[in-house]
Amino acid sequence: MAKVEVRTDVTGNVWKITAKTGDPLNEEDVIMILESMKMEIPIEAPCSGRLVEILVSEEDSVDEDQVIAVIESS
Amino acid sequence: MKAAVLREQNKPLEIEEVEISKPAPREVLVRPIAAGVCHSDLHFVTGDYPSALPTILGHESAGIVEEVGSDVTYVKKGDHVITCLSAFCGHCDKCLTGHLSLCQSPEVSREAEESPRLYRGDETIHQFLNLSSFAELMLIHEHALVKIREDMPMDRAALIGCSTTTGVGAVFHTARVEPGSKVAVIGCGGVGLAAINGAAIAGAGMIIAVDMVDAKLEMAKSVGATHTINASSGNAVGEVMELTQGGCDYTFEAIGLKATTEQAWQMLAHGGAATVIGMIPVGTMVELHGVDFLFEKKIQGSNMGSNRFRVDMPRFVDFYLNGKLHLDQMISKHIKLSDVNEALDALKTGQEARHVIMFDQ
Ligand SMILES: NC(=O)c1ccc[n+]([C@@H]2O[C@H](COP(=O)([O-])OP(=O)(O)OC[C@H]3O[C@@H](n4cnc5c(N)ncnc54)[C@H](O)[C@@H]3O)[C@@H](O)[C@H]2O)c1
Ligand SMILES: [Zn+2]
Ligand SMILES: [Zn+2]
Repeated sequence: MAKVEVRTDVTGNVWKITAKTGDPLNEEDVIMILESMKMEIPIEAPCSGRLVEILVSEEDSVDEDQVIAVIESS
Repeated sequence: MKAAVLREQNKPLEIEEVEISKPAPREVLVRPIAAGVCHSDLHFVTGDYPSALPTILGHESAGIVEEVGSDVTYVKKGDHVITCLSAFCGHCDKCLTGHLSLCQSPEVSREAEESPRLYRGDETIHQFLNLSSFAELMLIHEHALVKIREDMPMDRAALIGCSTTTGVGAVFHTARVEPGSKVAVIGCGGVGLAAINGAAIAGAGMIIAVDMVDAKLEMAKSVGATHTINASSGNAVGEVMELTQGGCDYTFEAIGLKATTEQAWQMLAHGGAATVIGMIPVGTMVELHGVDFLFEKKIQGSNMGSNRFRVDMPRFVDFYLNGKLHLDQMISKHIKLSDVNEALDALKTGQEARHVIMFDQ
């Protein structure tokens, strides 16, 4: 079990957080959706595991490569 | 209503019955008459760009206003409109300094806790770029459309909704091409051809079209290219340097690749500016030779032609109707909504220009 950081690919605003702390996740499950230059960009789990921390809130703006959540990989 | 839904990347769109909400106070229900299929739609099918799913693609359309929300005064039922993904709020720093296409205000879409504009039972169907035009109806913010004159044919008007505005706008607004200057455009799809046409309107002296498909280079000539280069030779940069005797004042990348972006940079004359229009896949890095900066070369991006679309689009309509903008040859095929997957496949080969969906009226 290792802690894995979930990072953003692009700058944008957090539109909707679709997962919650404690949720079990499969690889590619959507954790949140960012709005960036009119696009709705999903942030997906890079591995399967449990979502242990969400570091942003809806409507926050985020930068490229920012850590937005942490997963405990399984 | 019927709509073409993307449920999974790299799978065909499926024609489904989808429900659409009622207009909120600042929303407009539009019945699209025509919708172009743009390479940007394909980028979201292939996953070059990730997208929330399921979604209804499509973002290049023209249609007729069906119903308006209680606060809308700009349009009324029956007005002819072109839609634009560059929905602007009108009061952020970007909007107030004239950079409407960079507005990122979330207020032009519905908030996460509001009921969605598009749905199927209790499933949310994500709206693509606040538009989703591969559907029989569109519910959009009033700042995502512009009224146009009624003698403008709807299929040509649809093209103005993205490719024309993007290509011509990149030339007029982003690069501000000077009369007499030397221009190269790499990629002659709907967007690149519009950039070539824009450069001709702007009075560029030399306009070099670069593509790998001869038929596209012929089209490029018909919209204003003075020279063409088939890049299959593998020496497009060398050929441009030879033709121009020292490089271009302006280059435009209209494909979305690392290699062609680097070529756009290498084709520049000292002091020249490269404008990248193509959507380069997320995560791709571009490499430039650092010493080139000493020669005052510039490189910049262009989003939707740095538009102010409520001003630009009616002007482009006039350009078409007075013969300056050549939209007729841009349309290679009129298709039905159910043929949308063939249009997306055609974009993969680059053999044809635009396919335009015509909705039954
Ligand atoms: N920045 C924006 O706001 C914006 C708006 C619209 C479209 N786009 C992007 O612009 C790009 C072009 O869109 P389009 O609809 O015109 O695409 P298209 O598929 O119709 O045209 C691309 C053209 O490039 C040619 N091509 C492909 N590889 C080539 C190479 N290596 N060398 C030379 N030519 C090559 C193809 O033959 C084709 O003619 C896409 O990436 C699209 O997503 C950006
Ligand atoms: Zn487009
Ligand atoms: Zn704004």
